[in-house]
Amino acid sequence: MRTTARRLRGATLALAVTATLASTLTACGSGSGASAAASGPTTLKWASSYFPTHWDPVVSGSGAQFRLLSLVYASLTRTDENGKAVPDLAEKWEYNTAGDQVTFHVRSGLKFSDGEPVDGTAVKAAIERAKTQKNSALFGDLTSIKEVTASGQDVVVKLSQVDHQIPQLLGQRVLQVASPKAAQDPAKLDQTPVGAGPFVVTQLVPGTKVVLKKNPDYWDAANIHIDNVELVSAPDASTIVSGLQTGVYNFADLAPAQADAAKKAGLDVFVQPGFNAANISLNVNKAPFNNPKVVDAVRHAVNRKEFVDKLTFGLGEATDQPFPEKYIAYDPASKNRWPYDPEKAKQLLAEAGFKPGDIKLDLVIPDATPAAEIIQSQFAAIGITLTIKVDKNWSKPFFAKELTVSVYGTTGRDSAVQTLTAHFGPNGPLNLSTPYQPEGFEAAVAKVRQTPLDAPEYPEALRAATRAGLESRALVFTYSAPNLLAKSKSISALPANPAHIDWTGVRISGR
Amino acid sequence: MVRRVLSLASGRLAVGILLAIALLAILGPLLAPQDPLATSDNSLTGPSAAHWLGTDYLGRDVFSRLLDGSRVSVVGALEVTLMALVVGAVPGILSVYLGRVFEWLTLRIADTLIALPFLLFAVAVTALLGNGITQAMLVTGVLVSPLFYRVSRAATLAVARSQYVEAALISGASLGWVIRRHVWAKVLPPIAVALAQTLGVGFIIVSSLSFLGIGVQPPEPTWGGLLASDLGYLDYRPSAPFVPALLIMATVWASNLLADAIRDVSGESGRALVNTRKAKANQLAAGGTA
Repeated sequence: MRTTARRLRGATLALAVTATLASTLTACGSGSGASAAASGPTTLKWASSYFPTHWDPVVSGSGAQFRLLSLVYASLTRTDENGKAVPDLAEKWEYNTAGDQVTFHVRSGLKFSDGEPVDGTAVKAAIERAKTQKNSALFGDLTSIKEVTASGQDVVVKLSQVDHQIPQLLGQRVLQVASPKAAQDPAKLDQTPVGAGPFVVTQLVPGTKVVLKKNPDYWDAANIHIDNVELVSAPDASTIVSGLQTGVYNFADLAPAQADAAKKAGLDVFVQPGFNAANISLNVNKAPFNNPKVVDAVRHAVNRKEFVDKLTFGLGEATDQPFPEKYIAYDPASKNRWPYDPEKAKQLLAEAGFKPGDIKLDLVIPDATPAAEIIQSQFAAIGITLTIKVDKNWSKPFFAKELTVSVYGTTGRDSAVQTLTAHFGPNGPLNLSTPYQPEGFEAAVAKVRQTPLDAPEYPEALRAATRAGLESRALVFTYSAPNLLAKSKSISALPANPAHIDWTGVRISGR
Repeated sequence: MVRRVLSLASGRLAVGILLAIALLAILGPLLAPQDPLATSDNSLTGPSAAHWLGTDYLGRDVFSRLLDGSRVSVVGALEVTLMALVVGAVPGILSVYLGRVFEWLTLRIADTLIALPFLLFAVAVTALLGNGITQAMLVTGVLVSPLFYRVSRAATLAVARSQYVEAALISGASLGWVIRRHVWAKVLPPIAVALAQTLGVGFIIVSSLSFLGIGVQPPEPTWGGLLASDLGYLDYRPSAPFVPALLIMATVWASNLLADAIRDVSGESGRALVNTRKAKANQLAAGGTA
């Protein structure tokens, strides 16, 4: 009897201990949100090597900086994880039957951070500014747009041709919408951005640092879980990993050479999908590239594997097109069209009447990069002497199409057609040989524009346009660099939105 | 003076190091075992029999690049030094004799040049005139020249007011003769000290600029450039920056050591120091005690 009582007391005690432990553990498990809330506001500390010079999206253009401007600016559409246009400021849109007019319906009740309403008029003003502002980097992308009219929350975009790419085009890269009131003074907007994006700028030190706080009026504010952002211009690449380790930053883009060190430091190292593609730009309007045999020699001189091995440490991939291999616009039929064959390259040069050493050119580049040194050595191997000239004002002669040979790397576009026309179009900014364009390219691109993106024939039409573009003698593609990023483990995974850095749904645990 | 400098151990060491660096600059490109610009598939490898200091990010032989890069570094440092000497020392001496206007003007120019940050100015000049080491070094030389101006002016002032110089002038000696005969001999030692010092500064400047990628077009190797590129691949070759950094440090240290040695043996006190040392050496050789 006494033994039974003792056992009962023991069982009761065990139950009590178990219950206490269980309740404690449950509290720990379910209380993570509460503890995070208790830990105070969360801050993203981002070191970026693409820190924008310009904060006016019209001036900044479609380059990699758009990822940072998207902290401040929302766009008419955005792209999802498949690269397809989905609603952003516009909640829906529809084409007319002819396909030459598209009507966007802007969400109602939204406002810019200066209190101005987000409506059809604001979107109209943004498109027209991008088309007409003197220093716009975007006007070349909007040639299909003939006229824009606005009525309440609706904006009607009338096109000069049938073009089903418009919703793809008017995303983060081309139509980040600024407050029309703030845009009346573009110079001020350039250093004081005012948008309707997920964050609002509270402090901006040009070229160095920008501090932002969450925008409670953002249309998708419920899915933004970061309270503050401190964005800084990344210092030397070799210091990024230690900055991440010590908590100076908790997010940064990373040079491939630092990937191993970051992994060893226990950081989350990941590759965001993207459309990066580097190229050698040739001017076929100038000697010696006005000789097709010399261009063919260069095409055969390029050893893409060397770029991938030495510059990306195997994390990138070789590409002979303006897209990486897995992208919808990549044309498998054109793969390896001009394989690496230095002997054939030398033979082609001889046929063109050039002996080794006869061709001496300046390779003009904006910054000293190992890629230029690789190109120099590969050209030297077939007898072309390149002298590397670093020109800080490189963009001026490059975009004025004055250079004979240079290099460029694109981070891609959300619209594959935009990528193609930028590279191969007669006035494409990345076509060093303006007004030259390959035969059949214009018709192939027109066919893509006329094809709805969900039509079964769309992928083939797109690849055919790529195939036509690749006949261009003005560009030789080399490799696709990885979008390599490193983050602290306290930051949850980012949406795998190709070529974008999207903070929707991302959480930071602790401070 | 050379003999007196070499009589000091520190002087011999400094001259030895600087001679070795000079030989590297002259013969380095010829001694390089491999083409310093030739890339290979073996990138970022450690030291081996084929590559004594390993290979860089493009598979180039680091030892050959160091040897080849010596010339640019040495020539750049010499350009700074000689430019500073010519632009600084001559007006410094003449400012004492060519009247108040010239004196006032050169003093104000020297004050202005001292106020300009030479590294920043060199960057601006390369942006304006193109990315070349010579223009960057020559401009830097002009900005460093106030050191020579002040040193030579101070030494000249000390001599110009001495009785024997005044006597020479009263006796009808020309200004040129006085400067050659009396002033130059007195001004030379402090200028030699400044020259050695500026050589060290020149090495730091040329290394700093090439570290920043200014003045030298890739793929031309320089010590500073090698150091900069090595820092990007520390995870693969952690010891890589050691050799270029050591070369820069040793050269700057030797220049400063030489400046100290010249200062120690200059003037009457220097002569006394050398004579005392010689006397001690003779006593020791004769078996006596110091």
